[in-house]
Amino acid sequence: MIELQNVSKSYTIKGGRRNILNGVSMALPWDNIAILGRNGAGKSTFLRMIAGIEEPDGGDIRRNKTISWPLGFRGSFHRELSGVENVRFVARIYGQDTEEMVEKVRDFAELGQFYHEPVKTYSSGMGARLAFGVSMAVNFEVYLVDEIMAVGDARFKAKSKKAFQDRLPYSRLVMVSHSMNNLREYCQTGLVLDSGKMTYYEDIEDAIKRYEQLNEA
Amino acid sequence: MKTLTTHIRVILALVLRESRVRHGRSKAGYTWAIVEPVLQITILTILFREFRGGSDGSGAEFALFFATGVLSFNMFRNTAAYIMNAFEANRALFNYPMVKPIDAVLARLVLDLATNILVMAIVLGFQITFMDVPPPEHVPLMALPLALLALMALGAGLSLAVIKRFLPSAQNLYHIIMGPAFFVSCIFFSLSSIPTQYRMILWWNPLVHGVEGFRVGYFADYSAPDINLLYLFTWVCCLNFFGFVGEWLTRFKTT
Repeated sequence: MIELQNVSKSYTIKGGRRNILNGVSMALPWDNIAILGRNGAGKSTFLRMIAGIEEPDGGDIRRNKTISWPLGFRGSFHRELSGVENVRFVARIYGQDTEEMVEKVRDFAELGQFYHEPVKTYSSGMGARLAFGVSMAVNFEVYLVDEIMAVGDARFKAKSKKAFQDRLPYSRLVMVSHSMNNLREYCQTGLVLDSGKMTYYEDIEDAIKRYEQLNEA
Repeated sequence: MKTLTTHIRVILALVLRESRVRHGRSKAGYTWAIVEPVLQITILTILFREFRGGSDGSGAEFALFFATGVLSFNMFRNTAAYIMNAFEANRALFNYPMVKPIDAVLARLVLDLATNILVMAIVLGFQITFMDVPPPEHVPLMALPLALLALMALGAGLSLAVIKRFLPSAQNLYHIIMGPAFFVSCIFFSLSSIPTQYRMILWWNPLVHGVEGFRVGYFADYSAPDINLLYLFTWVCCLNFFGFVGEWLTRFKTT
């Protein structure tokens, strides 16, 4: 689904540069993939590169599936605009039927009257529900998730999970999380990022084992 | 081809969005974007007429002269200032992969162009209808300098937005320059009316050529022999080159 060809990426930190990827070539299979690595290894940056928000310094990333934006932030919602208006914006940039999408998100996010109020009046749970609802309303083949599953109450979490499972025949997940339980719940395979290298594990348990070794070292 | 339609779709979505949030979501919303400059220009016109035009009895004519100046000048000043902030104002949106910084810049250009033209139509339309001043003589000839001013605003706004990635205070510099520019851009006098030694200095101000060029199109026999649209066009090219190349080079430097 995603093919990396000799991809390099580094970023500047105080006192030098940190390598995220150092000439990595790899074809990622269409699977539910957990991304693991120590703090600062570049998990989120890697997600942003897959999404196409950040370009690699060198090399090429090819995608043949529709890929979501990294879920798990509500920053892209305009605080002064209502939920509905924000949904319309996303529908427009993704070329979706605006009113159809407004209805889908209305059903999913359960915001009631708040759907028509400015996003700045939302609680963080409401913002997360809106963000999740919007992402489920566009039919992506790959969902990029950056720690979103932790938000919402138990009932909404169950609903999100069911929504994902209903989508599973057509969609996959690439996920960054610090909760191993979360990763185990959703992903079967794993990628470990460590000082510029990336290793793919067909079994997520092997990936978690490797990650724990790194943390002990 | 597919990327072009995506760009157009994104720009249109951004235009709609910007028009909703530009004026802090007051009930009147976008109407303020029109009413505010119309009122500003009306008040300035009355003020300047009292200072200058009152004595020679050609008040209506001066009002028109002043309006053509300030309207074309604003096309540059407001649009550039608005584009300059396109990156910060839309930063969160760049998390959507298809929304590129350039789209935000072009959306602001489109929106401000439309706003300025609407304001222009209202102010000039009002004067033609109620103050008995002549209608524009040659509309295409007015449109050319205006288009150049808009393109220069694009180049200047984008260049400033790029510089602001490293030097946020560039914004203040722009306002410091544009303050005096109001007085040396031939808004309330014509280039040919000033003494020769000063005229040659003012000639280097590219805005003079846009403002006076606009009047050449508007008035039937407006004399402006020194106006050179090619000079203005050179500024358009240089600023846009700097802006677009600069944006491309610094695209991933600040995240």
